[in-house]
Amino acid sequence: MNSITKLLSRAALAAMVALPAMTAAQAAEITIAVGSEASTLDPQKRDDGGERAINDNIYETLLARTPAGELVPGLAEALPTQVDPLTWEFKLRPNIKFTNGEAFNADAVVKSVARIIDPNFASEQMSYFGTIAKAEKVDDLTVRVVTTGPDPILPSRMYWMKMVPATYSDDPAFQTEPAGTGPYKLSTWTRGQEVVLEKNPDYWGDAPSIDTVRFRFIGESGTRMAGLMAGELDVITNLLPEFVESVPKSAAVQGVETSVIILSTENEATKDERVRKALNLAIDRQALADSLYSGFALPTKGQLVNPRAFGFNTALQPYPYDPEQAKALIKEAGAEGKTVTLVGEAGRWLKDRELIEAVGNYWEEAGVKVDYRIEEFGEYLNQLFDRKKRPDAVFVVNSNELLDADREMSFAYMPNGTASSNNDPDLAAWVPAARVETDVEKRKGIYAQATQKAHDHYYLVPLLNMQDVYGFSARLEWQPRVDAKLLAKEMKVTE
Amino acid sequence: MGLFILRRLFQGFLVVLGVTLVVFVATRMVGDPAQVMLPLSATAEQRAAFEHKFGLDRPMAEQFVDFIGDLATFDFGESMWQRRPAMDVIAGRLPNTLKLIAAGLGLAIVLALPLGALAAIRPGGFADRITVFLGLFGLSLPQFWLGLLLIMVFAVTFKVLPTSGYGGWTHFILPAVTLALPAAARLMMLVRSSVIDELNQQYVRTARAKGLRFPQVLFGHALRNALVPFITLAGWEFISALAGYTVVVETVFAWPGLGLTAMQAIKFSDLFLLQAIVFTVAIGIVLVNIVLDVIYKLIDPRIKLA
Amino acid sequence: MAVISPAVPTAAAKPRAGSFSALAAELWHDKAGLFGFAIIVLLIVLAFIAPLITPYDPALQSVAARLKPPVWMAKGSWEHLLGTDHLGRDVLSRVMAGARTSLIVGVSVVLLAGSFGVLVGLFAGFKGGRTDAVLMRLVDIQVAFPGLLMILLIVSVIGPSMTTMIVVLAITNWMIYARVVRGIVLSVRQTPYVEAAEVIGCKPARVIFKHILPNLTSPLLTLGILEFTNIVLAEAAMSFLGLGVQPPATSWGLDVANGKDYIFVAWWLITFPGLSISVTVLAINLFANWLRVTTDPQEREKRFARAKAAERRRAGRTAPTPVEA
Repeated sequence: MNSITKLLSRAALAAMVALPAMTAAQAAEITIAVGSEASTLDPQKRDDGGERAINDNIYETLLARTPAGELVPGLAEALPTQVDPLTWEFKLRPNIKFTNGEAFNADAVVKSVARIIDPNFASEQMSYFGTIAKAEKVDDLTVRVVTTGPDPILPSRMYWMKMVPATYSDDPAFQTEPAGTGPYKLSTWTRGQEVVLEKNPDYWGDAPSIDTVRFRFIGESGTRMAGLMAGELDVITNLLPEFVESVPKSAAVQGVETSVIILSTENEATKDERVRKALNLAIDRQALADSLYSGFALPTKGQLVNPRAFGFNTALQPYPYDPEQAKALIKEAGAEGKTVTLVGEAGRWLKDRELIEAVGNYWEEAGVKVDYRIEEFGEYLNQLFDRKKRPDAVFVVNSNELLDADREMSFAYMPNGTASSNNDPDLAAWVPAARVETDVEKRKGIYAQATQKAHDHYYLVPLLNMQDVYGFSARLEWQPRVDAKLLAKEMKVTE
Repeated sequence: MGLFILRRLFQGFLVVLGVTLVVFVATRMVGDPAQVMLPLSATAEQRAAFEHKFGLDRPMAEQFVDFIGDLATFDFGESMWQRRPAMDVIAGRLPNTLKLIAAGLGLAIVLALPLGALAAIRPGGFADRITVFLGLFGLSLPQFWLGLLLIMVFAVTFKVLPTSGYGGWTHFILPAVTLALPAAARLMMLVRSSVIDELNQQYVRTARAKGLRFPQVLFGHALRNALVPFITLAGWEFISALAGYTVVVETVFAWPGLGLTAMQAIKFSDLFLLQAIVFTVAIGIVLVNIVLDVIYKLIDPRIKLA
Repeated sequence: MAVISPAVPTAAAKPRAGSFSALAAELWHDKAGLFGFAIIVLLIVLAFIAPLITPYDPALQSVAARLKPPVWMAKGSWEHLLGTDHLGRDVLSRVMAGARTSLIVGVSVVLLAGSFGVLVGLFAGFKGGRTDAVLMRLVDIQVAFPGLLMILLIVSVIGPSMTTMIVVLAITNWMIYARVVRGIVLSVRQTPYVEAAEVIGCKPARVIFKHILPNLTSPLLTLGILEFTNIVLAEAAMSFLGLGVQPPATSWGLDVANGKDYIFVAWWLITFPGLSISVTVLAINLFANWLRVTTDPQEREKRFARAKAAERRRAGRTAPTPVEA
């Protein structure tokens, strides 16, 4: 069976090379363009988009999410139960095998956890798993995961941890010849060019409708577009909103990224609350969303927390656009003509430079002078992370894959957070408290307080919740996911 | 001859040493790879561990000594981005770049020889004016622009060629044409002027007056005498393509060669890989130069090799 | 090493004391050269007065007027003759401002690299012996550096800016001047009159300024102009790769890079800056071509001969029996 499919796909490949214009006619084979090349196919090592896009189709996690973002059982039979504040118990689905023949069982889970948190392994994904102490086998299909402190978002974390086979994962070959439990397995990997996946015939779940998935690495977005228009590609990510009209098909979904400008409460230019308020009121977020992103972004609702995330404060309203009041506030605070330094970078996020410059324009209209510091990425990070000397205003796009407010809180809300610029003692106390609060309602309450406080004192200038826009070929049917995973098993091809 | 090659090799060694020094200073003194390579949320401990793992926390002098020692044994270190030996990455990409250069330069030569000769037959004539103008035009097109236009026309509008990537021979056409055009223009101009000069020589005029047929003059004398400057220029084109001019073409066409890899290494601030690429290319240039010198000697024994 | 750069006249050409009006008349006859000259003049004028005449501030954004097509298209308007870009900036204004960038970068690099190269060349050619050998080896070594890769490496580490780019391009482009100048100095010094000047004890400075520099003007001018086109293209390529001019400054290459993502909805974004680069480089090449021929006596002779031959051919064609195909 295997060799036959391989043979067929070889034949298909040969036909394609000979007749590139014919690709659109190939059934049940799709090509997905990703921006950067996979550096390894070890699913636990790196934290980069190229690797993730491919391994999301080869490997699976204990918990999964629906396309809309709701946590559901994955390799686990059900959502976990809490044994005590530090211990979570998972029941596993029976009779699942990795493609190398190893069984998926408690040993595999214990190994997966131990492997990824091993300091010697130095996984780049550790920032997702910092609270996990160990995993214990109870019986063949029952596992307990133990955390170092109370960790309410452990289920979300386990949705990020890919399960690897207990024995084979120690083999050096594992990095290039993966073996997972997922709907697809590796067929060929041509370095620098493409990775081809084929259907896993022994997949435990519903069989996917697409037989072969080809991932091509194309860095230039113009080149990706050209490939889509020419019918060589079926899915491209990060489609520029302007192209929605031009591509054969497109789809958008609320994404995990939110753009924000973090204001310093210490610096001369921005320590006056009236100035910070004015900088918020001066911006027409709706106009930015409509024109810059062609409507594929939503104005933030007075907070940085992602609307899909746990801890999102539904009571908060968006900061209104009120240029007159902004001007008046700037005047009142005596900040007219004063310089605000706005630090940012270009090229990392969709239209980042454009957004920074547009916001700066609004600020200048309100009466301050803006000193744009578009830095090279390394220097930008220096300034973003510099705890001693905060920039007046620094632009950043926060990404919340775990969909829990703790991410935004420890990044931009909590004093001495990764990139925060305030010294609010309440936030300093609340954020760590919420992190270990296992009572869901209490925890929600703390986040409501925190977002309200930051909102009222204008510590941040939350800008837009980004949508992820995808371009499809005419024949592809797919509902993109909130978590931005490119799951080929959910895709279909119409002929 | 042997002594000559030895001298050239020594000179090449100096080149490589100079390149190494510049690369080392540029990358270690200014950039901070730990920051760029790790995700935004990485902790200070993770950054420290990363620096320790790649030896970035040691004194500069110590790093440099190690670096030279490793180079001597052809150990270029591990690519931080790909997490495998940088040399393995290069070994996979260099052939693709060489193939692209070969296709592009081959095309340029095939275009340049007949067009240049055609233009030279009647300087100032119609064919000459057209080819010279086309040549100057070819020199004037920025390659990144030309590449985009070619993709637009042949891949997107007419769908006769693939837009990008590496594959069968059809994948070669657009990148090769893009790479070839300026080189073809320069080579064509050179052929033209050499042939014109040669046709104006007294002995050629005499030969023609005595009734030697034109093709014999052209192929027997004019083109043969244009060979040395032609090879010099073709070699120069090869070197400048290798030295980085494929970067633009490979970027536009997503061609998995050394140039694209260099851009990715820059993006991921992958110092070891970048060093290894620059180092490899430097060695390549030295070798090509030596080969060129030997070719001259074979063509024209009168050339003194110093 | 035997690598030489193409199409550079190294022959010591005696400068002709042709009067200005005679030159102008000659240029008038060479239509291609004239076209090139006109474009160059336009470019220089634009670069100087661009800030005064651009219809808009080239960096001025208007989110309401994004991606407007040029005036002759269905949705175009007279407000933006060449349309607007993805930020609502006026393309015409940006193209004009880009001329300034290209000129500044091109001229600065040619002057910097040129003066350094000329100095090295003069020194090496004049001192001769060991100094010459060492300097020329240095030149050889740097010529063999992987040029563009080194530039990319250095710029990506230091951080891109216009100044960085000018310095880096100058550092990687001075060698050719040194070679050309040295070659000319060596050959000029062998001419009897310079030998004589040296024998009677002329100071080196006097020899350089009186005898050698005049011989350098014409080839250096041509070389500088041709190098200028290379720099314009290099600047564009670097800006295209994101390692050159940084916003809010403008450059043609940068605009093509910005526009390339919009190639399918707004062709004018890459077309006008791209055309500007092409036309500029083409114009300079045409002019340089004319200049080379005009300032080189050998070439002039050839051109004259060719013109005569063409005349004869034309005359022959009207004759009843054509001479040889």
